[in-house]
Amino acid sequence: MPKISQLFYASALALCAATPALAWEPTKPVEIVVAAGAGGASDQMARMIQAAIQKNNLMKQPMVVSLKGGASGAEALIYMKSGEADAHKFVIAYSLIYTLPLSAKIPFNWRDLTPVAILAFDQFILWTNAKDPYKSVKEFTDAAKAATPPFKMGGTGSKREDHILTAFIEKRTGAKFAYLPYKSGGEAATQLVGGHTAANVNNPSENVEEWRAGQVRAQCVFDAERISYKVKVSGDLSWNDVPTCKEQGLDVQYTMLRGMFLPGKVAPDVTTFYVDLFKKLVQTTEYKDYMEKQALKPVFMTGKDMTDFLQKDEELHKQLMTEAGFVATTN
Amino acid sequence: MEALGLLMLGFKALMTWKILALMLVGLVLGIFVGVLPGLGGPNGVAILLPLTFSMDPTSAIVMLSCLYWGALFGGAITSILFNIPGEAWSVATTFDGYPMAQQGRAAEALTAAFTSSFIGSLIAVMMITFLAPRIADFALKFGPPEFFAVYLLTFCSFVGLGKEARQKIVISMALGLLLAGVGMDTVSGQLRLTFGFTELLRGVNFLVAVIGLFGISEILVTMEERLALQGHPASLSFKVVWQVWKTLPRYWVTLLRSSAIGCWLGITPGGAIAASFMGYNLAKRFDKNPESFGTGRIEGVFAPETAAHAAGTSALLPMLALGIPGSGTAAILLGGLMVWGLNPGPLLFVEHKEFVWGTIASMYLGNVIGLIIVMCTVPFFAAVLRVPFSAVAPMIVVSCAIGAYAIQNAMFDVWLMLGFGVLGYVFKKLDYPLAPLTLALVLGSRAEDAFRLSMIGAGGDLRVFWSNWLVGSIATLALVLLFWPVIGMAIERATSTFSSKTA
Amino acid sequence: MTEVTSSPDRPVVRSRSVDIVVSLLLLALAILLGWDAHRIGASWADDGPQAGYFPFYLSIIMGGASLYGLAVAFLDKSRGAFVTREQLVRVMQVFVPTLVYCFATQFLGLYVASFLLVSGFMWWIGNILIWKSILVAFTFTVVMFLTFEIAFNVIMPKGPLEAAFGF
Repeated sequence: MPKISQLFYASALALCAATPALAWEPTKPVEIVVAAGAGGASDQMARMIQAAIQKNNLMKQPMVVSLKGGASGAEALIYMKSGEADAHKFVIAYSLIYTLPLSAKIPFNWRDLTPVAILAFDQFILWTNAKDPYKSVKEFTDAAKAATPPFKMGGTGSKREDHILTAFIEKRTGAKFAYLPYKSGGEAATQLVGGHTAANVNNPSENVEEWRAGQVRAQCVFDAERISYKVKVSGDLSWNDVPTCKEQGLDVQYTMLRGMFLPGKVAPDVTTFYVDLFKKLVQTTEYKDYMEKQALKPVFMTGKDMTDFLQKDEELHKQLMTEAGFVATTN
Repeated sequence: MEALGLLMLGFKALMTWKILALMLVGLVLGIFVGVLPGLGGPNGVAILLPLTFSMDPTSAIVMLSCLYWGALFGGAITSILFNIPGEAWSVATTFDGYPMAQQGRAAEALTAAFTSSFIGSLIAVMMITFLAPRIADFALKFGPPEFFAVYLLTFCSFVGLGKEARQKIVISMALGLLLAGVGMDTVSGQLRLTFGFTELLRGVNFLVAVIGLFGISEILVTMEERLALQGHPASLSFKVVWQVWKTLPRYWVTLLRSSAIGCWLGITPGGAIAASFMGYNLAKRFDKNPESFGTGRIEGVFAPETAAHAAGTSALLPMLALGIPGSGTAAILLGGLMVWGLNPGPLLFVEHKEFVWGTIASMYLGNVIGLIIVMCTVPFFAAVLRVPFSAVAPMIVVSCAIGAYAIQNAMFDVWLMLGFGVLGYVFKKLDYPLAPLTLALVLGSRAEDAFRLSMIGAGGDLRVFWSNWLVGSIATLALVLLFWPVIGMAIERATSTFSSKTA
Repeated sequence: MTEVTSSPDRPVVRSRSVDIVVSLLLLALAILLGWDAHRIGASWADDGPQAGYFPFYLSIIMGGASLYGLAVAFLDKSRGAFVTREQLVRVMQVFVPTLVYCFATQFLGLYVASFLLVSGFMWWIGNILIWKSILVAFTFTVVMFLTFEIAFNVIMPKGPLEAAFGF
C-alpha cells in the first residue's frame, strides 16, 4: 500500500513543518526516586518538587515519590542504573554517588546515569548543644582535644558526608571524636539536644527547629562564604550571622550537591525536557521559599558545567576518603 | 486545666462540615488501604499527600491522620481473617486472632481488635492531651544505651515463653537476627552477608518475609489439612459485639498494661513496633495459663491491638514535638507538615496552637467515628470467609505477590516471599516457632545499631547500660524478665520452705 | 471435595527425615553466614563490636543449635509422617500454580498472570463452572488494576498486554 504510506509521510512532514518538532513529553506518571528514608532532606526536596510542579502546572502527568533508601541509598542507585533508557524516573542525588562506590564497593558510577541539573548546594554547620559553654570554634576544639573519653560527634550514616567532614575536622585540629552514625539527620539533631552527643555537623535544615528553639548553637558554616539569607531565624540571629569556619580559624570547606539524574541512555530530547522543567521549577516561589527555609544555596547548573563540576567533586571525595581510610579494601 | 481549654479550641477548629467530611473520607480510605496488601498506612498517606498540597494545614492533617487511624483499624482485618499482617504491629494480632477466625469466632476477634484499638488510642490521646509539653523532654532522654535497653526488654519478655523445643526457639531467633543483618551495616557502612548479590543490598524486608511466612505458608497448611478456611457463618449481630464488650472489664489489667506499654514505646522515637510484641508477651507471661495463648484466646487479640494503637497514636507526638517520626506513617506525615509550611519541632506547640490542638482533637473524634465505621464493616469482612476456598486462595496468593512487590518495587522480593512461604510451611510442620523469627527480623538490626552506637560512645564499656537510672532500670527489668523462670522458682522454693518451717 | 476415604494414606516422608534435612541445611547456612561474617571482621574492636561480630556469633549459636537438633532427630525413634501422599498432592495443587504464577508474572505482567491463576485455580482445583471462574477472575483483576494502577499510582510489573494498551 504505497499510497497510504506516502500520504502518511506527506502529512507527517506537513505537521513537522507546521509545529516546530514535536517535543517529548512524559506519557505516564514520573517517579522521583529518593535515595534516603522518609522525612529526610531528599524526601522533603522531592515533596517540594512534586508540589511546585503540580501547583504551577509545569507538567501534565503526575509525579510519584518513591523512597529507595535501602543500604544507605545504594538501592536507589542500583535501581536507577538498571532502569536504562527509562524516561519516566529521575533520582535526587547527593554525594552518595561518589562515596558509596568507594566505601561499600557498590558497582556504580555517576557516569552510568544522565546528569540533568544541579538545583542546590547544601551547607554543613558545626552545631553544639546550647547548654555547653563553647562560644567559639576554638573553645570547642580545645575542649575536644583535651577530652577523655573523646567527644561524641553525631551524624548521618557511616563513611558518608558527615563522617568525611568529621575526619576532615580531626585532621585540621588534631582533636579526636567518637563518631556516632545515626540513621537520619533528625535523629542526630535530637540526640544533640538530649545531650547524648557533644556536637554534630548537620545541614542547616536538619537542625533549624532546634536552633529556633534555642537548644543548639551554630558555631560555623563549612563554606567559603557565609550563607546569604538575612532574615532572623533564631532570636536575633539570621543564617548570615553564622561565621564561616575559616573565619573561626578552622579551614575546612565542604558543600554537597543536590542534583537530578535520569537513567543512562535516555534520548536527548528527554534530557532537554527535564532541563527545561527544572529551569521552570527554579523560578517558582515554592522553590525559592524552600531554598530559604532550608538555607540551601540555590544554583542552576547543567550541561558541561555540571559534568565538569561532578568530575572535580568526585576527585575531592576520593582524596578525602582515601585520607580518612574509608575506601574499602576487601570486598 | 490549660489543656482542656486548648482542646476545646481544637474541637472548635474541627466543627465545620468540610472537615467532618474530610475525616470521613480519610477513615474510609484508611480502612481500605489497611486491608489491601502492600498499601497500608505509609503508602496510603504518601499517595494522598499530593492531594493535600492545596488544603489548609488543619484540614490536611485531619484527613491524613484519619487515614492513618483507618489504616490502623484495617490492618487488623487481614491479620485475623487470613493470617496476613499488613503492618509490623499487626503481626502479634495474628497469633490468637487467626485461630479465633478458624474456630468461627472471626466476628468476635474483629470486635475485640477494633474495640481494643479504640481503647488503646483513646488512652494515648488522653495522655497526649495532658502531658504533651513534658513528653518531649522525656523522649530526649533516650540515647543509644536507652534504646538498646528497650529492645533488650522486648526480646527478654519473649524468651522462655514457648512450648517448642529449646533449640528450635534458639534457631528461629538466631535465623531472624541473621537475616536482619543482611545488607548494609549502618554503623560501619560495610556490606555484609550479601555475597555480591545486588538484590540482597537492601536486605531482607520484614514485610516481605512476614507475608510469605504467614500468608503463603498458611495457604499451604490449609490446603494440606483440607480445612478450606471454614468460616462458620460468622454472623455479626449486636449480640456478639455486646458479648465482647461485656467481657471487657474483666480484662482491665491487660488493657491498661498494654496501653501503658504502647504509650511509653510510642513516644520513644522508633519504638512503636516493639509495642504490640511486648504487649502480647507480657499478657502471656502474666497469665495463669500461658500455654493456651496462640490457640485463640481473646486476650491475645486485646493485648497487642491495644498496645499497637496506643503506640501508633502516641508516635505522632515525637513527630510534632521533636520532628522525629515514631513510625513509617508518621515519617511521611512529617514530610507533609513541611510542605504545608509548618515546622515540626519544639516551637510548633507555641506557634501553631490551633493546628496542634486541632490535630489532637481530631484524634478523639477520628477514633470514635472510626470505631463506628469499622464495626459496620465487620459483617462484610466476616462474609468473605464464606467465599469458597478455591476462589479465595488464589486471590490471597495474588494479594501476597502484589504486597511483596509493592513494598520495594522488586520482583526479587516476590521470589523471596515465596521462599519464606516454603520456610514457614516446613517450620510450622516441624514445630519451629515463627514468632521469634519475626520479632528478630523487625527489631534485630535496630537493637544491634543501638548496641554498637552505645559501645562507640562508651569506648566499648558495657557498664554504660547501668550508667543512669533510666537505662539502668530498663536493663535490670530486662534481665529480671529473662531470668524470671529461675527467679520465680527460687521465690517459690523460698516461700515453700518458709511456710513449711512455720507450719 | 470428596470425603476422607478409608484407603491407607501412605506417608511420603517422615517428620524425622525432614527434621534431619532441615537441620543440615540450617547448619550449612550457619557455616556460610559465619564464614562471610568472619571475612568482614568479627572481633571486638576498641570501639565495640565490628560489623561481623554479631552475625558471626549468631551463626555459631545457630550452628550449635542445629547440631543439637540433628542429634535429637537421630535419636528420635518416632515414625510420624511429615506429609502423606494425599496431603502432598493437595499442597502441590496450590504450590505449583503459585510457582508458575511467579514465573508468568515476569513475562506476562502481574495482572494477566493473576487472571490466569485465579480463573485456572477456581476452574481446575475448585471445580467451579468455567464461565463463573473467568467472570470472577476478570472482575478481581480489573478491580486490582483500577485500584493500584489508576487510583493509587502503584506501579506493578506489566507485560505485553498492558503495553498494547499503552501502559
